[in-house]
Amino acid sequence: MKNISKIVESKTAYILILPAVVFILLFSIIPIGESLRYAFFDFQLNDQAKSGLYINANYNIALYDETAFYIRSFLDMEEEVVTKDETKLQIDAIRNMLDEYDQYMLNNISSPDMASVVSVNNEKLAYVTKIRDNIMSSLEKLYSFDEPFVCEEDMFAVASELDTAIISSNFSGLNNFKSVLTDTRVHSTVGFTLIFTFISVFFELCFGMALALIMNKALKGRGIIRTVSLIPWAIPTAVAALIWSYLYNGSSGIISHLFAWLKIIPEPTELLLSSTGSLWAIILADVWKTTPYMALLLLAGLQTIPHSLYESSSLDGATKLQQFGSVTLPLLKPSIFVALLFRTLDAFRVFDLIYVLTGGGPGGTTESVSIYAYKVMFAQTRFGYGSAVVLVMALTVGLITFAYIKLLNVKLIND
Amino acid sequence: MQTAKTSKTIMTVIILYLLIIAFPFIWVTLTSFKPESEIWGQSALKLFADQPTMEHYEALFKTTILNSLKNSFIIASITTIYVTLIASFCSYAIARLKFKFKKVLVAVILATSMFPQMIVVGPIYRTFVKLGWTNSFYITLPYSMITLPVATFILITHFAKVPVEMEESAYIDGASKIRTFFRIILPLAMPGIFTSAIMTFIGVWNEFLLSLTLNSDEKFRTATVAISFLRGQFQIFWGQVTAATVILTIPTLIIVILFQKQIISGITSGAVKE
Repeated sequence: MKNISKIVESKTAYILILPAVVFILLFSIIPIGESLRYAFFDFQLNDQAKSGLYINANYNIALYDETAFYIRSFLDMEEEVVTKDETKLQIDAIRNMLDEYDQYMLNNISSPDMASVVSVNNEKLAYVTKIRDNIMSSLEKLYSFDEPFVCEEDMFAVASELDTAIISSNFSGLNNFKSVLTDTRVHSTVGFTLIFTFISVFFELCFGMALALIMNKALKGRGIIRTVSLIPWAIPTAVAALIWSYLYNGSSGIISHLFAWLKIIPEPTELLLSSTGSLWAIILADVWKTTPYMALLLLAGLQTIPHSLYESSSLDGATKLQQFGSVTLPLLKPSIFVALLFRTLDAFRVFDLIYVLTGGGPGGTTESVSIYAYKVMFAQTRFGYGSAVVLVMALTVGLITFAYIKLLNVKLIND
Repeated sequence: MQTAKTSKTIMTVIILYLLIIAFPFIWVTLTSFKPESEIWGQSALKLFADQPTMEHYEALFKTTILNSLKNSFIIASITTIYVTLIASFCSYAIARLKFKFKKVLVAVILATSMFPQMIVVGPIYRTFVKLGWTNSFYITLPYSMITLPVATFILITHFAKVPVEMEESAYIDGASKIRTFFRIILPLAMPGIFTSAIMTFIGVWNEFLLSLTLNSDEKFRTATVAISFLRGQFQIFWGQVTAATVILTIPTLIIVILFQKQIISGITSGAVKE
């Protein structure tokens, strides 16, 4: 009886999780797998020969057919103007050659479903390469005769398509990853992203902690503090970035003028036009947007600490600072861990804020890894290389998570 | 006992904090009413406009910004409805039912929420291009990737709070698990469902990267992408930009004021366990 109800229970559970599992599979797991696959190919959307993932070489048989047709018609035209028998013999020889190749294509390369691009093995690849070489050399021989040819240029232009028809494999193994490791732009973007993440999260944690402690003490006005704190967190990052880009702009930005007046920067225009200025501008905007969120997370943790613990420790004669060190911090550790982890991962994949605020400029000095990967994929359409960059980023994110878990010694999933 | 001095310091710090948080909004709002001539140069640094104007708002409404707001609203609503539904099924099973691979499922959901989003964008873009789904409301489907983990974790904590006795008594009365779920559990977990719906809505409303890559056409752009396009390459109409940021902040403001309790619970329920 008990067994049956257990089976029913797990059956029900499987039905209930099914929709979520399907979505996770379709939009997370499979795309991640695909990205991994892309990274092993020289996959470029705007380059016809590389716009797919070709483990094997391919042959564009439709293009061959078309080329052969044009070569024949040009040969007909030349035949009418040439005078020597020798030349005519050569033209016939080329025709016979083409007939032979047509037969080969029909027997060995054409697929039953008449696909225009078909996969070819090494042997066939060698043969179609030979076809290309033979046609080219016999055409060169033909045009070496002294005759009043009429379409030499067109002939060679068309014949060069035979080369385009051969699509070699773009499987590149670990090459993309090797290039990522030596790409100076990857180095500089990873460096920038780490600096940005470290400084932003550090300030957010310090200010957030101070704010949480104050909010925990404040008796009046908690409601308004909460409402106001939520607004920076809740507005779209793109909107926040635009607001700050107005405050920072060199000619009419109030913040850039304020900083110039305080002598923090030499000129108001320096804020977004110098690399250090931009770095700090981005950090300030990020700290403004996420410190309230950090404070709310920590405040929630503070409120779970029983008041009696403070009372008993103050009876033991502990000062406020000692209380913070011996009661607050240890009990707040899980909250600090979660807040730090969430924020670090978020900051490391920063995209919207920089995309809208500086666009990676000036001169690419504020490019985060995400921005660089986006540019590689969508501006240069190099999906293979872009995927390798993203995977290196994902690996770094994994390492950061692992480091946090080890450093703070916390269990990620409570049972 | 708090002394009067420390409470005064606390009040000062709080007021300063509120000012810093609110300042950018206040400044941008004031600027949006300044005429073009007062936005540039020294007069831009004045608090109030000498001749307040609505011209930027009028100009803005002639662009497609309202259409983009409508797109954002439609896309966020569709995503919220279906994600909340499938997340509540899934979280109920995780919180209450015994089944194999439960830990694996939880670990996978957690891991997907930590992965950089950029990793799925390339393959999803290519699939969408192949299917002809770019520039359409199909974009709501991949939005599950960013919202499902958050919704699931919020709901797991809420389902776990529903007293087991309620469920058991219904079960003894002969109701099936599915029936119990709809009749007893769902109504009791309503606050949690509402919280996860709000968080999903905000998450989609604010999303930028997927929208930028999948729905680049003006007709299907969401508000976040549309507003980023106001910042052109060579010329920036700050008047319109500031007016647009004001318009886009209003929905957020309404949501925050109406649902702040749910949002706070949503932010913290994943972070504070037990």
